[in-house]
Amino acid sequence: MKTKLAALSAIVLAVAGCHNPMNSVENAQKSGQRSMVSDQRVVADMGLNRSVSVVGLNTAMTPGGLLKVQAELLNTTKSFHRFSYQFEWFDQDGMQINNVVSPVVADQIEGRESKFISAVAPSPACKDFRLKLLEAH
Amino acid sequence: MKNIIILPLAAAAAIFTGCGTNAHYVQTGGRESIVSIGQINDQDFIAAAGDATSDLLASGVLDTVKGRKAILAMSRIVNDTSQQINIDLLTKKIRVGLLNSGKAVTTTTFGLGGQAEDPLAKGIQQQQEFLNDQKAAPLPDFTLSGKIIQTSVKSGDTSQTTYSFQLSLTDQRGLAVWEGEKQITKQGTRSSVGF
Repeated sequence: MKTKLAALSAIVLAVAGCHNPMNSVENAQKSGQRSMVSDQRVVADMGLNRSVSVVGLNTAMTPGGLLKVQAELLNTTKSFHRFSYQFEWFDQDGMQINNVVSPVVADQIEGRESKFISAVAPSPACKDFRLKLLEAH
Repeated sequence: MKNIIILPLAAAAAIFTGCGTNAHYVQTGGRESIVSIGQINDQDFIAAAGDATSDLLASGVLDTVKGRKAILAMSRIVNDTSQQINIDLLTKKIRVGLLNSGKAVTTTTFGLGGQAEDPLAKGIQQQQEFLNDQKAAPLPDFTLSGKIIQTSVKSGDTSQTTYSFQLSLTDQRGLAVWEGEKQITKQGTRSSVGF
């Protein structure tokens, strides 16, 4: 029986990649105020949506007049997770702006971790954006 | 009986081989790209260039040039890795990104050691200046220099390599007014497909 339990634990550890959920602490009274934006979502991968859940989006302008976007992600599971993301940008006519500044970025998130990802628009013509999240292979 | 054995075997083989290895197109730098540990891949250059360009644009340094676009010249980017690298794989993406942003242009007639990237353009520029009695073309406002560094470690069968892309933007006073570093770390026992 003990042997079985030990083997099971080993398998669970191997599958979870020996990663434990994350603890964190931060100041309660915030000085900065995030300018949150309303969003519309298309969720096709429920599993990914649990491990890389978008909590909210906020935007700001850089000194040079470029739109900066920040997304807060939360891993609602206990497991470490690998994913990739990409920001797409659109001009005032809704046309996508092709650029080299917004690559597909490989990233990872610990169990129960909340993290931020951000991007800066490649030109002042960018008015709208879309964030794509993908499961890593 | 034969079918019962062969079918699951074929299915397992298909799963393990990723359903075939025929040549096909993949998105450059996309998540199907091959990831090699001891080598800088396309997606690494794309990530490093994208990060540097975004950071540079967000810093507002280029906006300190008033009334016109900032003029940028490419300086030396040292390859301190174990592999041969065409630095243009990094710098060209940064140049394209900055040009498309409308905030900077790169000179092709002003290069390291007096070597113009485009000698014909330099000849035309000089001829124009001579024929029209014009002033010499403005000097670049900024130069971009940097270094790519590789550090590798190994533990048992697992190898890990970190590539550090370090870039500096220097103004005419010789001051580094922007600096950026992007580190990309890859770990594994062998190369694989996907992020």
